Amino acid sequence: MSGAIVVGYTATDAGADAAALGARLARSLGARLHLVIVLPSEGTRSAAVPPERAYEDVIRAQGKRWLAEAMTHLPQGLTRSGHVRLGESFAEGLIAAGEEFGARLIVVGAAEGAGFGRHRLGGVASALVHSSPIPVALAPAGTAQDEVDVVPRITAALGTRAGADVLLGEAVTMATDSSAPLRLVSLVPFDVPPGLDTGAIRVAGGEHADEVLAAAKTALPQGVEVSAEQAPGDSVEDAVTHLSWLPGEVILVGSSRLAQPRRLFLGSTAAKMLRVLPVPMIVVPRTRTGAQVEGDLA
Amino acid sequence: MSTTRPTTASTPEPAPVTGGLSQKGLSAGTVGLIGAVIIGISCIAPAYTLTAALGPTVSEVGFQVPAIILIGFIPMLLVAFGYRELNRSMPDSGTSFTWAARAFGPWVGWMAGWGLIAATILVLSNLAGIAVEFLFLLIDQIAGSPGTIAELAFNPFINVAVCLLFMLGATLVSYRDMQTTQKLQYYLVGFQLLVLLIFSITAFVQVAQGNAFDASPIELSWFNPFAVGSVGAIVAGLSLSIFIFWGWDVTLTMNEETKNPEKTPGRAATLTVITIVVLYLLLSIALLSFAGIGTGALGLGNEDIQSNVFFYLSGPILGPLAFLVSLAVLTSSASSLQSTFVSPARTLLAMGHYGALPSQFAKVSPRFFTPGYATIIAAVVASAFYAVMRFISEDVLWDTITALGMMICFYYGITAFACVWYFRKQWFDSARTFFFTLLFPLVGGIILAALFVMTLVDSMNPDYGSGSNIAGVGLVFILGVTVIVVGIVIMIWQAIKRPAFFRGETLTMDAPPSLRRR
Repeated sequence: MSGAIVVGYTATDAGADAAALGARLARSLGARLHLVIVLPSEGTRSAAVPPERAYEDVIRAQGKRWLAEAMTHLPQGLTRSGHVRLGESFAEGLIAAGEEFGARLIVVGAAEGAGFGRHRLGGVASALVHSSPIPVALAPAGTAQDEVDVVPRITAALGTRAGADVLLGEAVTMATDSSAPLRLVSLVPFDVPPGLDTGAIRVAGGEHADEVLAAAKTALPQGVEVSAEQAPGDSVEDAVTHLSWLPGEVILVGSSRLAQPRRLFLGSTAAKMLRVLPVPMIVVPRTRTGAQVEGDLA
Repeated sequence: MSTTRPTTASTPEPAPVTGGLSQKGLSAGTVGLIGAVIIGISCIAPAYTLTAALGPTVSEVGFQVPAIILIGFIPMLLVAFGYRELNRSMPDSGTSFTWAARAFGPWVGWMAGWGLIAATILVLSNLAGIAVEFLFLLIDQIAGSPGTIAELAFNPFINVAVCLLFMLGATLVSYRDMQTTQKLQYYLVGFQLLVLLIFSITAFVQVAQGNAFDASPIELSWFNPFAVGSVGAIVAGLSLSIFIFWGWDVTLTMNEETKNPEKTPGRAATLTVITIVVLYLLLSIALLSFAGIGTGALGLGNEDIQSNVFFYLSGPILGPLAFLVSLAVLTSSASSLQSTFVSPARTLLAMGHYGALPSQFAKVSPRFFTPGYATIIAAVVASAFYAVMRFISEDVLWDTITALGMMICFYYGITAFACVWYFRKQWFDSARTFFFTLLFPLVGGIILAALFVMTLVDSMNPDYGSGSNIAGVGLVFILGVTVIVVGIVIMIWQAIKRPAFFRGETLTMDAPPSLRRR
């Protein structure tokens, strides 16, 4: 048993994408899947609108129907359940549900208007990647159409900044749980101060990559492959576009230094990657959650 | 930790597929006393209501507006008691529609729902119309160009265009269920009340200083409905005063939704009513004594200013501070637009749900969890209605308000009778049930029914209301009859297309049995 995954579900294309990614990750990790619809709680939305329990019941019944419908489309053999929750905001309700189910991941879809295979942060996703204490997986538009059952490979985008070891740890755990090969991609060149000449960047990149690779190898159990790759390019976007991707692969990125301890904050590098990334991205908090409280990593 | 891929059903845990709810996270937001009062006042939107209704009421009853305000409240209160009983016994988002269908069957239920929707659509168009006029006035006041910009509001093309933009904005807010914080709403309502208070006090000061337009000393006879003279005038005045209290009953019907269901609704209703009645009396007396009921430039009897009196009186009374009134009416209409959109949308949702209308109406937006289709239809109809009325009516605001009063009497009346009939087996269970399920709603219902019929008859007169008429028949009468006839036609069409509801298969008639031991 490897924890739970909470999917922020809506009966839209984005919701289907999130459910598909959630199902894929749950299968790979052997996790339990919880589809969660967060409804706005009556009486807290607008202070000018009279709250009405009966109306809330109508919406809740509709939410249950949506969940029941969605669950019939999930692959068989998955431990899944559906839940209707009320919250002041969708993001807040999802985080609460994530904590309630002890989730290791919260999955959400892209905003409406995202091109096929592309990310676009909606309000909910944006709120999540800037406040969630639980790693957040973002499903690009069209994930539901992918014919991929399990995650074929896990990529982690590493830098040298604080939190890289937490990210590496998370990547190793996911690779272990899913027995998927791990690919480490160095984004070091984009982490060094601008103005440093390119020669120095290469050297720093190369050395760092070797260290990280060695660390990952020792941490991974036998039989799980690990490889390291440099992402060449003039910019983050350029580098990401030049990487090769397997269908269904996921990429892990760390949270920004601006984040509160144990909370997410999408950094500028990750935000840039998101624009060009054709695969799901998982944003991991900078410090560990739960009992393994952080040492001073900053 | 498993190292194999659990691609088959080999998960260690049992796999209950539930769509269920756990109790956790179910505690919906509840409203406290102040919150409930704020909702009540927001729904009434006193600044908007009074500017729209004061003129037409004066034109009917002259100086006796305070008396009409006081007695106009009585049928509202009586009917509200019936509402509360129905809401307690069978809470449903279809309100009048569902209750009337349960008591009298599908046909009456359908028409009650239709009346509610028609009334809210009428008020939506009036609300947006008032908002447009005050928007232009506000810009005018701030830009310091006396009259030139405000005048633009009366160009029908500009007016309709801006009004449609307002509607679009309000629809978007309702469709997307945009959040307004409680704090903001407190400020808006507080601001509204404060401005109206300043407005009326300043009017009294102006009278005292001899600056009034037509200083009229306050007389006791203003509170005497018998001084009005004609029954027709009282009836017309009453159906308008029904409108000024419309929306107040929500405070009474919020039960479980409040923090203390035993006490909060009653207290909130009382507090709201006291606030509103005091404010209405103060303002109407202040404006009457400042402007009189003459037909002069600023007289409340002047037909040109009657459909929007604050618009014309705020300047002369408040001088440079007049923009505060514009701002108060604007914010009052804006915040009321959202709460007003809610009720037709929810009723349409319920009607779609029970098969009284196409099932699209029951659709809930999967992104915003609002009755999206119903909201958009309500907005489109209200916009189209306003645009047409702006061109055919001499005074669109006036005629919509009068027709509105009539429609409120129609569906509130049906609802009151529904309460009486639904609880027929419980009438004599206790003194409480006798008063609240029989006597009060019955008397309230009879008053409203009488008002409806008398207004309908009177409004055939081409001089009724603003004096708009088509072929010598009053426009208000044509409006009222058209709304009802269109309702009947659509009902018959629906009955042919989806007979299940009309055979009583989706919503059955019922009467709860007496609880007394025999």
